[in-house]
Amino acid sequence: MTAETMMDKSRLAAFADGELSPEEAAEVVLHLADYPQDQAYVDNVIASNESLSQAFAAPLGDPLPQAIENTILGKPETAVIAPFPKRPVVWVGTALAAALALAAFTGPSIFTPAQPPRLAVGPLTGGSSLSEALNSLPSGITSSEDADQELLILATLPIADGFCREFEVIDRSDERIDLGIACMTAGTWVVEVTLTEPLASSGTEDGFVTASGAEMQGLIPFLDRLGAGNALAPEDEAALIARGWAR
Amino acid sequence: MTDRFRQDLVAVIPKLRRFALSLAGNQPDADDLVQSACIKALRNSAQFREGTRMDSWMYRIIQTLWIDDRRRNKTRGAQVDPEDAGLSDGGRAARLPEDRMMLDMARAAMGALPDKQRIVLSLVAIEGLTYKEASDVLEVPVGTVMSRLSRAREALLPQLGMTKGPIQ
Repeated sequence: MTAETMMDKSRLAAFADGELSPEEAAEVVLHLADYPQDQAYVDNVIASNESLSQAFAAPLGDPLPQAIENTILGKPETAVIAPFPKRPVVWVGTALAAALALAAFTGPSIFTPAQPPRLAVGPLTGGSSLSEALNSLPSGITSSEDADQELLILATLPIADGFCREFEVIDRSDERIDLGIACMTAGTWVVEVTLTEPLASSGTEDGFVTASGAEMQGLIPFLDRLGAGNALAPEDEAALIARGWAR
Repeated sequence: MTDRFRQDLVAVIPKLRRFALSLAGNQPDADDLVQSACIKALRNSAQFREGTRMDSWMYRIIQTLWIDDRRRNKTRGAQVDPEDAGLSDGGRAARLPEDRMMLDMARAAMGALPDKQRIVLSLVAIEGLTYKEASDVLEVPVGTVMSRLSRAREALLPQLGMTKGPIQ
């Protein structure tokens, strides 16, 4: 029980809480000058407000808890990327190599490749070999039109407004492997990202090649930003190719 | 739902965690409360009107969820060790032992208040809402806010040793 006051405690508390108009507050101030007990009550209310504010202030300086952040902003789904598989070396073909050779060396890569990227970031010319391969080649089927180069589409991934395809090009003469992701934008395939690694670091004694785990990790954030989902099943991909990439 | 809505919600989370802490008495339960409130807010985001204060809208959701939870669990006034419960702020708010003691007393006194008194005292004394804003959050008349505040302080001030005069 608090000490009795001359003025109603609710009014004194309202004064302490800053609820009164200037005129009302002035009246209370005059009253408090004559009634120390009421002044003490006002001081106590103000002091208790301050104590409570400090007592529960800890969260104000804390970082946003991850669980709450995920609830509000949504935890990004990590796309499941088809692994760059081991496979036998094939030595054939030239058209694809020509198409790739036409590509500029200026495309910015989001990674730091061991060698400059050969694939240029940007739209592919309609009818180019790479564009044709992206249009029609099922995932997992190697296309080789050059003795030293081969192309493999790794997967087709749905994104928010279309589809992207992972692919890789192996150039044995240059001993390099170029990885890329191309997305269908307004009817045109656009190479969105590229990265390159030495073929020697990807090869195995039995003639198989794989991309390194580190390189794969580099692609995942990009695909997450696109909102890429899991790779399409072969039958779904086949249907998509058959209807010309219409959704 | 717009990105702006989510961003505005993120911006008020520190205040919401403080409010929830003052109700729940420990940080883990407070964060669960805030998270549940966020889920409810996101689900009902269409009901949020432009010009409404996000913090006030969320205070209402939090206090409703907390009251509902209390009714379900039939527990109240659980007292917890500030260190164990994550209530301690590591001395950030109070450097002197007597100050820390006062803050511990304030937490304990808050935890001993009836639910409705605790809510209104938190909104006004900690969150700094006006009586009118608190009445809007709680959907009760301003007079009810004032009477609950008055009863809360009648119980709280003695707990803080404030029965006769101001703390020197």
